[in-house]
Amino acid sequence: MILTYYPGCSLKTSSKFYDASIKRVFSSYGVQMDELDDWSCCGASAAHTIDDKLAHALVARNLSIAEKKGNPLFAPCSACYNRAKTTNETLRIDRSLREEINGVISPLNCLGTVEVLNIIEIFKDFIGLERLTEKLRYDLSSLKVVPYYGCVLTRITKFMPFDDREDPKSMDMVLWISGVETIKWPYKMECCGASKTLTDKDLTFELSSRIMDMAFTLGADAIVTPCPLCQLNLDILPSLGKKERVLPILFLSEVFELAIFGNLSGTSSHMIPVDGVTGKIGKKHSP
Amino acid sequence: MKDSAFLKEMEEASKEQISSCYQCYRCTIGCPVVSRMDLKPHMVIRYIILGEREKVLSSKTIWTCLQCITCSVRCPNDIDIAHVFDTARKLSIKEEMASNRDTWLFDSLFLESVKKHGRLNEIEAILKYKLAKKDLFSDTKMGMDMFLKGRIGIMPHNIKDRKGMGRIFENLKEGTGRDR
Ligand code: SF4
Ligand code: SF4
Repeated sequence: MILTYYPGCSLKTSSKFYDASIKRVFSSYGVQMDELDDWSCCGASAAHTIDDKLAHALVARNLSIAEKKGNPLFAPCSACYNRAKTTNETLRIDRSLREEINGVISPLNCLGTVEVLNIIEIFKDFIGLERLTEKLRYDLSSLKVVPYYGCVLTRITKFMPFDDREDPKSMDMVLWISGVETIKWPYKMECCGASKTLTDKDLTFELSSRIMDMAFTLGADAIVTPCPLCQLNLDILPSLGKKERVLPILFLSEVFELAIFGNLSGTSSHMIPVDGVTGKIGKKHSP
Repeated sequence: MKDSAFLKEMEEASKEQISSCYQCYRCTIGCPVVSRMDLKPHMVIRYIILGEREKVLSSKTIWTCLQCITCSVRCPNDIDIAHVFDTARKLSIKEEMASNRDTWLFDSLFLESVKKHGRLNEIEAILKYKLAKKDLFSDTKMGMDMFLKGRIGIMPHNIKDRKGMGRIFENLKEGTGRDR
Protein backbone atom coordinates (compact mmCIF):
# COMPACT_ATOMS: atom_id res chain seq x y z
CA MET A 1 0.00 0.00 0.00
CA ILE A 2 1.81 3.08 -1.27
CA LEU A 3 0.79 6.71 -0.88
CA THR A 4 2.33 9.85 -2.28
CA TYR A 5 2.71 12.01 0.78
CA TYR A 6 2.21 15.78 0.64
CA PRO A 7 3.15 17.01 4.14
CA GLY A 8 2.61 20.71 3.47
CA CYS A 9 4.41 23.47 5.36
CA SER A 10 2.76 22.90 8.77
CA LEU A 11 3.93 19.32 9.13
CA LYS A 12 7.51 20.39 8.49
CA THR A 13 7.48 23.35 10.91
CA SER A 14 4.89 24.01 13.61
CA SER A 15 3.47 20.48 13.61
CA LYS A 16 6.47 18.21 13.03
CA PHE A 17 5.17 15.83 15.66
CA TYR A 18 2.05 15.21 13.55
CA ASP A 19 4.31 14.06 10.72
CA ALA A 20 6.15 11.75 13.14
CA SER A 21 2.93 10.41 14.59
CA ILE A 22 1.43 9.64 11.18
CA LYS A 23 4.58 7.82 10.08
CA ARG A 24 4.69 5.78 13.27
CA VAL A 25 1.06 4.68 13.01
CA PHE A 26 0.91 4.12 9.25
CA SER A 27 4.04 2.03 9.18
CA SER A 28 2.52 -0.38 11.66
CA TYR A 29 -0.29 -0.91 9.16
CA GLY A 30 2.16 -1.45 6.33
CA VAL A 31 1.35 1.81 4.57
CA GLN A 32 4.34 3.16 2.68
CA MET A 33 4.53 6.93 2.27
CA ASP A 34 6.69 8.36 -0.51
CA GLU A 35 7.15 12.06 0.05
CA LEU A 36 6.21 14.07 -3.05
CA ASP A 37 9.40 14.95 -4.87
CA ASP A 38 10.41 18.61 -4.41
CA TRP A 39 6.91 19.62 -3.28
CA SER A 40 6.12 23.29 -2.81
CA CYS A 41 3.68 25.28 -0.71
CA CYS A 42 0.10 25.10 -1.99
CA GLY A 43 -0.67 28.72 -1.07
CA ALA A 44 -3.27 27.65 1.52
CA SER A 45 -5.73 30.44 2.22
CA ALA A 46 -3.34 33.20 1.15
CA ALA A 47 -3.08 32.56 -2.59
CA HIS A 48 -6.76 32.60 -3.48
CA THR A 49 -7.25 35.90 -1.68
CA ILE A 50 -4.61 37.52 -3.86
CA ASP A 51 -5.06 35.73 -7.19
CA ASP A 52 -7.16 32.67 -7.94
CA LYS A 53 -5.06 31.60 -10.90
CA LEU A 54 -1.95 31.64 -8.79
CA ALA A 55 -3.80 29.51 -6.25
CA HIS A 56 -4.57 26.89 -8.92
CA ALA A 57 -1.06 27.07 -10.38
CA LEU A 58 0.68 26.49 -7.05
CA VAL A 59 -1.44 23.40 -6.43
CA ALA A 60 -1.19 22.19 -10.03
CA ARG A 61 2.60 22.14 -9.76
CA ASN A 62 2.37 19.56 -6.98
CA LEU A 63 -0.46 17.60 -8.58
CA SER A 64 1.49 17.27 -11.83
CA ILE A 65 4.42 15.70 -9.98
CA ALA A 66 2.07 13.35 -8.14
CA GLU A 67 0.31 12.30 -11.34
CA LYS A 68 3.53 10.87 -12.72
CA LYS A 69 3.69 8.43 -9.81
CA GLY A 70 0.06 7.40 -10.06
CA ASN A 71 -0.44 6.63 -6.36
CA PRO A 72 -3.11 8.43 -4.31
CA LEU A 73 -2.00 11.77 -2.91
CA PHE A 74 -2.32 12.04 0.86
CA ALA A 75 -2.58 15.55 2.36
CA PRO A 76 -3.00 15.53 6.15
CA CYS A 77 -3.50 19.30 6.50
CA SER A 78 -7.14 20.26 5.97
CA ALA A 79 -6.28 23.48 4.15
CA CYS A 80 -3.86 21.68 1.79
CA TYR A 81 -6.40 18.92 1.25
CA ASN A 82 -9.18 21.36 0.42
CA ARG A 83 -7.00 23.26 -2.05
CA ALA A 84 -5.63 20.09 -3.68
CA LYS A 85 -9.08 18.56 -4.04
CA THR A 86 -10.58 21.77 -5.43
CA THR A 87 -7.89 22.39 -8.04
CA ASN A 88 -7.72 18.73 -9.02
CA GLU A 89 -11.46 18.50 -9.71
CA THR A 90 -11.67 21.96 -11.29
CA LEU A 91 -8.86 21.35 -13.75
CA ARG A 92 -10.17 17.93 -14.70
CA ILE A 93 -13.53 19.38 -15.69
CA ASP A 94 -12.61 22.83 -17.00
CA ARG A 95 -10.50 22.35 -20.09
CA SER A 96 -9.83 25.98 -20.93
CA LEU A 97 -8.70 26.75 -17.39
CA ARG A 98 -6.56 23.60 -17.43
CA GLU A 99 -4.81 24.71 -20.59
CA GLU A 100 -4.24 28.15 -19.17
CA ILE A 101 -2.81 26.87 -15.89
CA ASN A 102 -0.63 24.37 -17.72
CA GLY A 103 0.74 27.27 -19.73
CA VAL A 104 1.71 28.91 -16.46
CA ILE A 105 3.38 25.86 -14.90
CA SER A 106 4.98 24.64 -18.14
CA PRO A 107 6.98 22.43 -18.73
CA LEU A 108 4.91 20.67 -16.07
CA ASN A 109 1.48 19.43 -17.02
CA CYS A 110 -1.49 18.72 -14.77
CA LEU A 111 -4.53 16.71 -15.84
CA GLY A 112 -6.39 16.60 -12.54
CA THR A 113 -6.44 12.81 -12.43
CA VAL A 114 -4.80 11.99 -9.13
CA GLU A 115 -6.88 10.70 -6.21
CA VAL A 116 -6.62 13.18 -3.32
CA LEU A 117 -7.14 11.74 0.16
CA ASN A 118 -7.28 13.14 3.68
CA ILE A 119 -6.28 11.32 6.86
CA ILE A 120 -9.80 10.21 7.78
CA GLU A 121 -10.18 8.56 4.39
CA ILE A 122 -6.85 6.80 4.82
CA PHE A 123 -7.92 5.32 8.13
CA LYS A 124 -11.47 4.50 7.13
CA ASP A 125 -11.12 3.32 3.53
CA PHE A 126 -7.48 2.96 2.52
CA ILE A 127 -6.46 0.93 5.57
CA GLY A 128 -10.06 0.00 6.37
CA LEU A 129 -11.92 -0.25 9.65
CA GLU A 130 -11.47 -3.98 10.06
CA ARG A 131 -7.72 -3.88 9.56
CA LEU A 132 -7.46 -0.97 11.95
CA THR A 133 -8.56 -3.15 14.84
CA GLU A 134 -5.76 -5.67 14.28
CA LYS A 135 -2.97 -3.63 15.88
CA LEU A 136 -4.74 -2.15 18.87
CA ARG A 137 -3.15 -3.24 22.14
CA TYR A 138 -4.20 -0.59 24.62
CA ASP A 139 -7.54 0.06 26.21
CA LEU A 140 -8.78 3.61 25.63
CA SER A 141 -12.32 3.09 26.94
CA SER A 142 -11.91 5.47 29.86
CA LEU A 143 -10.90 8.30 27.52
CA LYS A 144 -13.65 10.70 26.50
CA VAL A 145 -13.06 12.86 23.44
CA VAL A 146 -14.93 15.28 21.22
CA PRO A 147 -14.31 14.91 17.47
CA TYR A 148 -13.37 18.26 15.98
CA TYR A 149 -13.35 18.22 12.18
CA GLY A 150 -12.68 21.94 11.68
CA CYS A 151 -14.17 24.04 8.95
CA VAL A 152 -12.68 23.32 5.54
CA LEU A 153 -12.30 19.54 5.44
CA THR A 154 -15.83 18.82 4.22
CA ARG A 155 -16.85 22.30 3.19
CA ILE A 156 -16.13 21.95 -0.47
CA THR A 157 -18.65 23.92 -2.47
CA LYS A 158 -18.66 22.84 -6.08
CA PHE A 159 -17.87 19.15 -5.71
CA MET A 160 -19.04 16.21 -3.66
CA PRO A 161 -17.14 16.16 -0.37
CA PHE A 162 -16.07 12.79 1.09
CA ASP A 163 -18.52 13.14 3.98
CA ASP A 164 -21.55 15.26 4.87
CA ARG A 165 -20.71 18.96 4.68
CA GLU A 166 -22.50 19.89 7.89
CA ASP A 167 -22.66 16.73 9.93
CA PRO A 168 -19.73 14.49 9.07
CA LYS A 169 -19.49 11.14 10.85
CA SER A 170 -16.46 9.46 9.32
CA MET A 171 -14.01 10.47 12.05
CA ASP A 172 -16.53 9.45 14.74
CA MET A 173 -16.48 6.01 13.18
CA VAL A 174 -12.69 5.82 13.08
CA LEU A 175 -12.50 6.98 16.70
CA TRP A 176 -15.04 4.39 17.72
CA ILE A 177 -12.75 1.72 16.29
CA SER A 178 -9.83 3.07 18.35
CA GLY A 179 -11.79 2.36 21.51
CA VAL A 180 -12.23 5.88 22.88
CA GLU A 181 -15.59 7.17 23.97
CA THR A 182 -16.81 10.02 21.76
CA ILE A 183 -19.11 12.72 23.08
CA LYS A 184 -21.71 14.32 20.81
CA TRP A 185 -21.26 18.06 20.62
CA PRO A 186 -22.46 20.97 18.51
CA TYR A 187 -19.04 22.32 17.52
CA LYS A 188 -17.59 19.58 15.34
CA MET A 189 -17.47 21.97 12.37
CA GLU A 190 -17.08 25.30 14.12
CA CYS A 191 -14.41 27.62 12.71
CA CYS A 192 -11.39 28.24 15.00
CA GLY A 193 -10.41 31.41 13.11
CA ALA A 194 -7.04 30.09 11.96
CA SER A 195 -6.84 32.40 8.94
CA LYS A 196 -6.71 35.39 11.31
CA THR A 197 -4.28 34.14 13.97
CA LEU A 198 -1.81 36.89 13.13
CA THR A 199 -3.99 39.60 11.70
CA ASP A 200 -6.82 39.55 14.26
CA LYS A 201 -5.68 37.75 17.37
CA ASP A 202 -8.65 38.81 19.51
CA LEU A 203 -11.10 37.32 17.06
CA THR A 204 -9.19 34.04 16.83
CA PHE A 205 -8.94 33.92 20.63
CA GLU A 206 -12.68 34.41 21.02
CA LEU A 207 -13.59 31.70 18.52
CA SER A 208 -11.05 29.17 19.80
CA SER A 209 -11.98 29.80 23.44
CA ARG A 210 -15.61 29.11 22.70
CA ILE A 211 -14.74 25.75 21.19
CA MET A 212 -12.48 24.88 24.12
CA ASP A 213 -15.07 25.93 26.71
CA MET A 214 -17.74 23.76 25.12
CA ALA A 215 -15.48 20.70 25.10
CA PHE A 216 -14.57 21.32 28.73
CA THR A 217 -18.16 21.81 29.84
CA LEU A 218 -19.17 18.52 28.25
CA GLY A 219 -16.59 16.68 30.34
CA ALA A 220 -14.22 15.63 27.57
CA ASP A 221 -10.62 14.61 28.36
CA ALA A 222 -9.33 15.80 25.00
CA ILE A 223 -10.30 17.30 21.66
CA VAL A 224 -9.35 15.23 18.60
CA THR A 225 -8.71 16.87 15.24
CA PRO A 226 -7.14 15.95 11.88
CA CYS A 227 -6.18 19.59 11.15
CA PRO A 228 -2.78 21.09 12.12
CA LEU A 229 -4.13 24.65 11.98
CA CYS A 230 -6.99 23.85 14.37
CA GLN A 231 -4.62 21.98 16.68
CA LEU A 232 -2.18 24.86 16.92
CA ASN A 233 -4.85 27.51 17.28
CA LEU A 234 -6.42 25.75 20.25
CA ASP A 235 -3.09 24.64 21.70
CA ILE A 236 -1.78 28.23 21.99
CA LEU A 237 -4.79 29.42 24.02
CA PRO A 238 -2.83 29.41 27.33
CA SER A 239 -0.13 31.64 25.77
CA LEU A 240 -2.84 34.11 24.85
CA GLY A 241 -4.20 34.21 28.39
CA LYS A 242 -6.63 31.31 28.74
CA LYS A 243 -5.11 29.32 31.60
CA GLU A 244 -8.19 27.65 33.04
CA ARG A 245 -10.57 25.13 31.56
CA VAL A 246 -8.24 23.92 28.82
CA LEU A 247 -7.90 20.42 27.42
CA PRO A 248 -5.17 18.79 25.33
CA ILE A 249 -5.79 18.67 21.59
CA LEU A 250 -4.76 15.39 20.01
CA PHE A 251 -4.27 14.62 16.37
CA LEU A 252 -6.33 11.74 15.04
CA SER A 253 -3.14 9.75 14.45
CA GLU A 254 -2.14 10.30 18.08
CA VAL A 255 -5.23 8.49 19.28
CA PHE A 256 -3.98 5.50 17.31
CA GLU A 257 -0.50 5.92 18.73
CA LEU A 258 -2.09 5.56 22.15
CA ALA A 259 -4.09 2.53 21.08
CA ILE A 260 -1.15 0.78 19.40
CA PHE A 261 1.85 1.82 21.52
CA GLY A 262 0.32 3.18 24.73
CA ASN A 263 2.26 6.45 24.44
CA LEU A 264 2.79 9.53 22.28
CA SER A 265 5.98 10.38 20.41
CA GLY A 266 5.06 14.07 20.43
CA THR A 267 4.30 14.58 24.12
CA SER A 268 6.84 17.39 24.51
CA SER A 269 5.48 19.34 21.53
CA HIS A 270 2.04 19.80 23.01
CA MET A 271 1.64 23.27 24.53
CA ILE A 272 -1.22 22.02 26.72
CA PRO A 273 0.12 18.98 28.63
CA VAL A 274 -1.20 15.57 27.67
CA ASP A 275 -0.42 13.75 30.94
CA GLY A 276 -4.10 13.60 31.87
CA VAL A 277 -4.72 11.63 28.70
CA THR A 278 -1.76 9.27 28.71
CA GLY A 279 -2.46 8.48 32.37
CA LYS A 280 -5.82 6.99 31.46
CA ILE A 281 -4.53 4.32 29.10
CA GLY A 282 -4.74 0.72 30.21
CA LYS A 283 -3.30 -2.47 28.74
CA LYS A 284 -5.85 -4.60 26.93
CA HIS A 285 -6.64 -7.97 28.46
CA SER A 286 -5.47 -10.59 26.05
CA PRO A 287 -8.39 -12.69 24.91
CA MET B 1 -24.31 56.39 -5.98
CA LYS B 2 -25.57 53.33 -7.77
CA ASP B 3 -23.52 51.55 -10.35
CA SER B 4 -25.74 49.44 -12.55
CA ALA B 5 -22.78 47.52 -14.00
CA PHE B 6 -21.50 46.35 -10.62
CA LEU B 7 -23.65 43.22 -10.40
CA LYS B 8 -22.56 42.03 -13.83
CA GLU B 9 -18.94 42.78 -13.06
CA MET B 10 -19.08 40.81 -9.80
CA GLU B 11 -20.94 37.90 -11.40
CA GLU B 12 -18.43 37.65 -14.20
CA ALA B 13 -15.40 37.92 -11.96
CA SER B 14 -16.68 35.40 -9.40
CA LYS B 15 -18.60 33.12 -11.79
CA GLU B 16 -21.36 33.07 -9.19
CA GLN B 17 -25.03 33.72 -9.87
CA ILE B 18 -25.37 36.47 -7.30
CA SER B 19 -28.67 37.66 -8.74
CA SER B 20 -30.37 34.41 -7.75
CA CYS B 21 -30.30 35.43 -4.06
CA TYR B 22 -33.78 35.65 -2.55
CA GLN B 23 -32.71 37.05 0.82
CA CYS B 24 -33.39 34.02 2.98
CA TYR B 25 -30.75 35.14 5.54
CA ARG B 26 -29.26 31.65 5.87
CA CYS B 27 -25.78 32.91 5.15
CA THR B 28 -26.04 35.48 7.93
CA ILE B 29 -27.59 33.14 10.47
CA GLY B 30 -24.71 30.67 10.31
CA CYS B 31 -21.84 33.14 10.17
CA PRO B 32 -19.57 32.87 13.24
CA VAL B 33 -18.32 36.47 13.02
CA VAL B 34 -21.48 38.31 12.06
CA SER B 35 -21.33 40.36 15.26
CA ARG B 36 -18.13 41.99 14.05
CA MET B 37 -19.39 42.90 10.61
CA ASP B 38 -20.81 46.25 9.58
CA LEU B 39 -22.95 44.74 6.83
CA LYS B 40 -24.41 41.29 7.39
CA PRO B 41 -23.53 38.77 4.64
CA HIS B 42 -27.02 38.72 3.07
CA MET B 43 -26.93 42.53 2.94
CA VAL B 44 -23.63 42.54 1.06
CA ILE B 45 -25.20 40.24 -1.51
CA ARG B 46 -28.24 42.52 -1.72
CA TYR B 47 -26.09 45.61 -2.12
CA ILE B 48 -24.20 43.97 -4.96
CA ILE B 49 -27.49 43.33 -6.72
CA LEU B 50 -28.52 46.95 -6.12
CA GLY B 51 -25.23 48.24 -7.52
CA GLU B 52 -23.99 49.80 -4.28
CA ARG B 53 -20.37 49.51 -5.31
CA GLU B 54 -18.86 51.72 -2.66
CA LYS B 55 -20.85 50.30 0.24
CA VAL B 56 -19.71 46.80 -0.67
CA LEU B 57 -16.08 47.48 -1.51
CA SER B 58 -15.45 49.67 1.53
CA SER B 59 -17.29 47.38 3.96
CA LYS B 60 -15.57 45.79 6.91
CA THR B 61 -17.47 42.58 6.24
CA ILE B 62 -15.47 41.39 3.25
CA TRP B 63 -12.29 41.53 5.37
CA THR B 64 -13.79 40.24 8.62
CA CYS B 65 -14.87 37.08 6.79
CA LEU B 66 -12.87 34.03 7.88
CA GLN B 67 -13.44 32.11 4.65
CA CYS B 68 -14.88 29.27 6.70
CA ILE B 69 -17.36 28.56 3.86
CA THR B 70 -20.32 27.90 6.18
CA CYS B 71 -22.51 30.39 4.31
CA SER B 72 -21.57 28.95 0.92
CA VAL B 73 -22.54 25.38 1.73
CA ARG B 74 -25.88 26.54 3.19
CA CYS B 75 -27.05 28.89 0.46
CA PRO B 76 -30.18 27.38 -1.14
CA ASN B 77 -29.24 29.04 -4.43
CA ASP B 78 -25.74 27.63 -4.44
CA ILE B 79 -24.05 31.01 -4.30
CA ASP B 80 -20.50 30.62 -3.00
CA ILE B 81 -20.75 33.70 -0.78
CA ALA B 82 -17.26 33.27 0.66
CA HIS B 83 -15.91 33.35 -2.88
CA VAL B 84 -17.98 36.42 -3.72
CA PHE B 85 -16.36 38.16 -0.75
CA ASP B 86 -12.96 36.96 -1.92
CA THR B 87 -13.70 38.55 -5.30
CA ALA B 88 -14.82 41.79 -3.64
CA ARG B 89 -11.54 41.87 -1.70
CA LYS B 90 -9.50 41.94 -4.89
CA LEU B 91 -11.62 44.73 -6.30
CA SER B 92 -11.53 46.75 -3.10
CA ILE B 93 -7.73 46.62 -3.08
CA LYS B 94 -7.53 47.53 -6.75
CA GLU B 95 -9.81 50.51 -6.25
CA GLU B 96 -8.22 51.49 -2.95
CA MET B 97 -11.37 51.18 -0.95
CA ALA B 98 -10.27 48.45 1.48
CA SER B 99 -11.37 49.16 5.05
CA ASN B 100 -8.51 47.07 6.42
CA ARG B 101 -5.43 45.88 4.58
CA ASP B 102 -3.93 43.54 7.20
CA THR B 103 -5.15 40.31 5.64
CA TRP B 104 -3.98 41.40 2.20
CA LEU B 105 -0.63 42.47 3.58
CA PHE B 106 -0.01 39.23 5.38
CA ASP B 107 -1.17 37.10 2.47
CA SER B 108 1.11 39.03 0.09
CA LEU B 109 4.12 38.51 2.36
CA PHE B 110 3.21 34.84 2.68
CA LEU B 111 3.29 34.50 -1.11
CA GLU B 112 6.49 36.49 -1.41
CA SER B 113 8.12 33.93 0.86
CA VAL B 114 6.73 31.07 -1.23
CA LYS B 115 7.97 32.71 -4.41
CA LYS B 116 11.45 33.00 -2.99
CA HIS B 117 11.82 29.63 -1.24
CA GLY B 118 9.10 27.43 -2.72
CA ARG B 119 7.77 26.80 0.76
CA LEU B 120 6.54 29.11 3.46
CA ASN B 121 9.23 30.54 5.70
CA GLU B 122 7.01 31.38 8.67
CA ILE B 123 9.54 33.48 10.55
CA GLU B 124 10.37 35.60 7.55
CA ALA B 125 6.72 36.27 6.68
CA ILE B 126 5.75 37.01 10.28
CA LEU B 127 8.68 39.35 10.93
CA LYS B 128 8.05 41.26 7.72
CA TYR B 129 4.40 41.61 8.63
CA LYS B 130 5.26 42.87 12.08
CA LEU B 131 7.80 45.33 10.72
CA ALA B 132 5.27 46.67 8.25
CA LYS B 133 2.78 47.06 11.09
CA LYS B 134 5.48 48.60 13.34
CA ASP B 135 4.41 46.12 15.98
CA LEU B 136 7.39 43.89 16.65
CA PHE B 137 6.73 43.08 20.26
CA SER B 138 3.14 42.00 20.58
CA ASP B 139 2.67 38.24 20.64
CA THR B 140 6.18 37.70 21.99
CA LYS B 141 4.83 35.39 24.69
CA MET B 142 3.04 33.25 22.13
CA GLY B 143 6.17 33.22 19.96
CA MET B 144 8.46 32.26 22.82
CA ASP B 145 6.14 29.51 24.06
CA MET B 146 5.95 28.07 20.56
CA PHE B 147 9.69 28.32 20.11
CA LEU B 148 10.36 26.46 23.36
CA LYS B 149 8.10 23.64 22.22
CA GLY B 150 9.92 23.41 18.91
CA ARG B 151 6.94 24.69 17.00
CA ILE B 152 8.57 27.53 15.09
CA GLY B 153 10.83 26.69 12.17
CA ILE B 154 13.89 28.90 11.95
CA MET B 155 15.47 27.55 8.81
CA PRO B 156 14.13 28.57 5.41
CA HIS B 157 12.71 25.71 3.40
CA ASN B 158 14.13 25.90 -0.07
CA ILE B 159 12.90 23.63 -2.80
CA LYS B 160 15.24 22.53 -5.57
CA ASP B 161 13.33 24.00 -8.49
CA ARG B 162 13.17 27.58 -7.24
CA LYS B 163 13.69 28.79 -10.81
CA GLY B 164 10.54 27.04 -11.93
CA MET B 165 8.67 28.47 -8.99
CA GLY B 166 9.80 31.98 -9.85
CA ARG B 167 8.64 31.37 -13.42
CA ILE B 168 5.12 30.50 -12.27
CA PHE B 169 4.87 33.86 -10.50
CA GLU B 170 6.41 35.68 -13.48
CA ASN B 171 4.01 34.06 -15.92
CA LEU B 172 1.11 35.37 -13.90
CA LYS B 173 2.58 38.73 -13.16
CA GLU B 174 0.65 41.05 -15.45
CA GLY B 175 -2.54 40.69 -13.55
CA THR B 176 -2.46 39.88 -9.87
CA GLY B 177 -5.81 40.45 -8.31
CA ARG B 178 -7.57 38.38 -10.91
CA ASP B 179 -10.33 36.07 -10.05
CA ARG B 180 -11.46 32.74 -11.25
S1 SF4 C 1 -28.06 32.16 1.82
FE1 SF4 C 1 -27.94 32.63 -0.38
S2 SF4 C 1 -30.06 33.08 -1.00
FE2 SF4 C 1 -29.99 33.19 1.24
S3 SF4 C 1 -29.63 35.36 1.68
FE3 SF4 C 1 -27.62 34.36 1.65
S4 SF4 C 1 -26.90 34.60 -0.46
FE4 SF4 C 1 -29.09 35.03 -0.47
S1 SF4 D 1 -17.20 32.34 4.99
FE1 SF4 D 1 -17.14 34.41 5.88
S2 SF4 D 1 -19.21 35.23 5.63
FE2 SF4 D 1 -19.34 33.03 5.28
S3 SF4 D 1 -19.91 32.17 7.28
FE3 SF4 D 1 -17.66 32.11 7.17
S4 SF4 D 1 -16.95 34.01 8.10
FE4 SF4 D 1 -19.15 34.28 7.64
